[in-house]
Amino acid sequence: MPKKMGYIMVDHRASPGLPENIARLAGYDPKLCGEGKLYEADTATCSHCKAVVVLNPDRTRERARCFECDNKEGHYICDGCDFLRRQPDYVHAPFIKFIDDHMAVAANPYSAKKLPAAPGVTLGSPPKLLLSDE
Amino acid sequence: MSKRVFQVNSFTPTAQADGVLAAGSYAALKPGSSTDIMKISKMFLQGQASSSAVTATMLARSSTLGITPTALALPNTDGPVSPSATAVTTVPVPYVAAGTNPNRSSPVSVARLALNFNAYGGIVIWQTNPGTDEEWFMIGNSTVNNSEVNLSSANVGSAGPISADFFYEVL
Repeated sequence: MPKKMGYIMVDHRASPGLPENIARLAGYDPKLCGEGKLYEADTATCSHCKAVVVLNPDRTRERARCFECDNKEGHYICDGCDFLRRQPDYVHAPFIKFIDDHMAVAANPYSAKKLPAAPGVTLGSPPKLLLSDE
Repeated sequence: MSKRVFQVNSFTPTAQADGVLAAGSYAALKPGSSTDIMKISKMFLQGQASSSAVTATMLARSSTLGITPTALALPNTDGPVSPSATAVTTVPVPYVAAGTNPNRSSPVSVARLALNFNAYGGIVIWQTNPGTDEEWFMIGNSTVNNSEVNLSSANVGSAGPISADFFYEVL
């Protein structure tokens, strides 16, 4: 996995903790979110849409990487952006391109263009898809 | 620029469905100018409830940005971490109430970060690798589903009072 991962800690060592369904909603391991438990997990950020994903350590399917974003190790991209990337008419659209496009308009007082729309994944997928990593 | 902390001393992120957020039930943050870029590198939430309170907080983007934000007032604070920091060119806009509150109705295609915890003794920390492009970006001050971030609670459970700290940087 990418070397630049994030980290999430949910500390219920002095708390009654979360019921199983609520823990699952957030993509946590429910066994580690009950009373007296400490849940820790890695997170990864998609380089195309900037979604933050709580990584599921039990996942066996391969996670996608974009070698156009990082040509040495590949940068993590979420499942939604991986789906889009495999479409025949796909044009590589990393988040830094959105920043470039935004600044080209916002920082140019003579630009007549509109600010670009924020990137997102148009899958119609359940929101959970972008929150957890099952 | 230097690292800053937006700190909300105590608020109850009332469980609510997507839509216009109720004043006082959220904390929102956006850049002060269209050419600013901000990055959140860490979130720190601490429960303050006196009895069990499942609190389904989430970091989400505003589908309609708040209009005429109310100036932040004590005990809430926002400022640079270092006392000798260079002043920012355009001051960011942290707020907990506004003339028209922000709308949390972004489409399913715009990701949110769930930070569920029990506000009775619970603590949540989300930390990225600082200084990398792993952080939570906000670009400009007017783009829907991007420029503004809000911390509020999903319509699940019965939220208790919490304190929240946003560690961020203006580029």
